[in-house]
Amino acid sequence: MSPKKASTTRLPRICWITSGKESGGNNQQLSLQLRELPPSRPAMILIREKHLDARQILCLAGQTAKEPLPIGSLLMLSERMDIALAAGLDGVHLPEHSCPALRLRNASPAMLYGKSVHSLEGALSAEKEGVDYIFFSPVFTSLSKPRYGPLQGPKKLREVCKAVSIPVFALGGITPENAIQCIECGAWGVASLGLFSDKANFRKTAETINRLLP
Amino acid sequence: MKFPSRPILCVITDDGLPPLDIAEKALAGGATMIQLRNKNASGRDLCRWSEAILPLTRQHNALFIINDRLDIALAVGADGVHLGQDDIPAPEARKLLGPDKIIGVSTGTAEEALQAEREGADYVGFGHIFPTGSKDKPLPPVGTQALQITSSLLSIPLIAIGGIQLENARNVISNGASGIAVISAISRAANPRLAAEAILKEMREGMQS
Repeated sequence: MSPKKASTTRLPRICWITSGKESGGNNQQLSLQLRELPPSRPAMILIREKHLDARQILCLAGQTAKEPLPIGSLLMLSERMDIALAAGLDGVHLPEHSCPALRLRNASPAMLYGKSVHSLEGALSAEKEGVDYIFFSPVFTSLSKPRYGPLQGPKKLREVCKAVSIPVFALGGITPENAIQCIECGAWGVASLGLFSDKANFRKTAETINRLLP
Repeated sequence: MKFPSRPILCVITDDGLPPLDIAEKALAGGATMIQLRNKNASGRDLCRWSEAILPLTRQHNALFIINDRLDIALAVGADGVHLGQDDIPAPEARKLLGPDKIIGVSTGTAEEALQAEREGADYVGFGHIFPTGSKDKPLPPVGTQALQITSSLLSIPLIAIGGIQLENARNVISNGASGIAVISAISRAANPRLAAEAILKEMREGMQS
């Protein structure tokens, strides 16, 4: 029996990835920043805080889930489907070496599943595994993760977007200037940790990207 | 979920050794519970190991539980989870796992143990009883007196952990523990299967004393 796909709803075009420096306590940093999102633009928010333990992540995710987000936004958590379920989030974003998405979907069918990939083969195998979307990286030189594998470039991005039928988000070194280039290569959207971490300029950046993206 | 008959021998996998190999030998020696614990392993590896260990525990009428990673436990259909004080709280875990799966909680004081019981844990891990090299332990060992007091306050099984070896297994059981959890006493033994058999024999004798 093949499990039902979680969602056929349109995914947001932009995914903001948390800095990796959030606290698990009663810190409202992330909540405050989410209030700066342009209200007319749905966003995907990926909570990815590897330094926190499960209890702290649950606390952070639970708090974030109470935050009013632009209509159509999705709240995702890195890898931990259990915590995402407990906190009432929309889905799980899997690292390359995760428990197979199909396994997770069998256990929790209502969630959205995405996966990070770093090659054409990885993209094809993620699609086969049944994920709803992929992040393909690193497309451009990234300031936040300068040494994360060989640079893929727009040409590889185009190849991947052609080869798979699920939405592709370009990740790595995304700027307002190159976001459109990614869409022209066939990407559904863009994902960024660096722009989201630049808290001082975030409101302006998010607005610029909102104007540029389809 | 039926809990194994006492005394319970829970064998925890060793980060430095292949988990399947330890589980195989421990089960052959009579272990009643295997706990997969590896804080650094990828989800893919945890899933792969679980898929291999689960049918083995079924063959031996033993239980398979996973430390911390409830997501993996749900994905592979493990018998339950073992949660530390920094992991998902037991009530949240219960909502996700349902009434039939096993939830164990690590505790170091009688208060923590009683709280775990109130929160719906099926058993508590209690320790560390003796000095241990397994983990960085900022706190001193709790000793057998605290073990005796805590086990007398609980109505769920207490599984003693920390520095338990062949030589003190009998003493731990005679002080009220329903079982013991071990890592190196099995994984680093010259013959893990025989080590499990010998510890179980000591534990059974501890139940009679």
